[in-house]
Amino acid sequence: MSQEADRLIADALRDHARIAAPARLRRKLARRHLGGRAPWLVPGLAALAGAAVATLVVLLVLRPPPPVIDPASEAVGDHLRMLGGRGLGVEVSDMHQVKPWFTGKLEFVPPITFLGDDEFTLAGGDVAVFLGHKAAELVYHRRLHVVSLFVFPATDTLDLERTIQGFHTIVWTRDGFGFALVSDLNFGELRALRDRL
Amino acid sequence: MPAARAGESKVVAMFPFRTRRPKLAVVTDEPAAPSLAERALDHVDELYGLARHLTGSAGDAEDLVQDTYARALAGSASFIPDSNLRAWLFRILRNCFIDRARRAKIVLELPDEVDVAPPETWGATALDQLRYLTASEVGAAIAMLPVEYRLVILLDVEGFSEAEIADIARCAPGTVKSRLSRARARLRAALKESP
Repeated sequence: MSQEADRLIADALRDHARIAAPARLRRKLARRHLGGRAPWLVPGLAALAGAAVATLVVLLVLRPPPPVIDPASEAVGDHLRMLGGRGLGVEVSDMHQVKPWFTGKLEFVPPITFLGDDEFTLAGGDVAVFLGHKAAELVYHRRLHVVSLFVFPATDTLDLERTIQGFHTIVWTRDGFGFALVSDLNFGELRALRDRL
Repeated sequence: MPAARAGESKVVAMFPFRTRRPKLAVVTDEPAAPSLAERALDHVDELYGLARHLTGSAGDAEDLVQDTYARALAGSASFIPDSNLRAWLFRILRNCFIDRARRAKIVLELPDEVDVAPPETWGATALDQLRYLTASEVGAAIAMLPVEYRLVILLDVEGFSEAEIADIARCAPGTVKSRLSRARARLRAALKESP
């Protein structure tokens, strides 16, 4: 019977002994060993610079009508704010700790059951304002890349893939909820994560 | 300009300030192998997990992982191409940990043990408890192990063979086998007693 106990303990070790590295450690290591900038930060900074230029042009020259915010660009904006150091409300890799953290902070339970795996590790979660309403933001890591997932109540049907400022976004709806994935990962990898959700 | 990722095409906007329509240049890169640093950084989670359990603190674990990468990538010439990069990194982390312990004058001693364990009885209820262990229970049980036991059991969890663990821990394969056995016995005892 002790062999059975050993097997169950080994399963528990595999499930619980692994601890994801904090985002700040990843950033430090990438800065130090990958040419001074984190690979996922490069498109982030480029996107920030692009956004600043676009804002300047809009204000000084074009004077366009009020901008229409779409889910994809909203997702990129929120993702950039997180990358820019806003931090996460809860930084743990255990979904059983992340989901309860949302209790009392959201008016819905995010319908996410994907706990993370070897390819996409859960890094934590936060409450974001998405399209004017509170949304759940879950953050996954894939290698040194960061992926944000926004979950929000949705009445319209959404199904789109867009690239904005170098970030790829996939937005879709299911059972009255909208989902927006955004990252500098390619679409193939983002779709692989979407299929797990 | 940052290097394009392997196999990707990039459309690069040039001089967007000066022209109303930015010139677009299509840059297509040949597939390039990731650098040793990039490949090494793919293992940061695994290294950090071991470092957390060895040091018992998040701050010390971060320092240990940073030391590990600094030592590994400064001495990257010692890495044999096509050999096991992961095992090489874990070996360096273990060496860094031992060095830090020596500098702090912490003596890492193994208990004298005799492998005569009383027969264990595991009823269905006790086995069921193991199925629902929490992360904190597992972490506490690991923390109770002597550090060399912690090392071998966590390397075993990471999927290393006994020969690889022996190479990383710098001991004989037979020693790994006995340490694994003793570590498992201690974990069984700790987790059986946990409330």
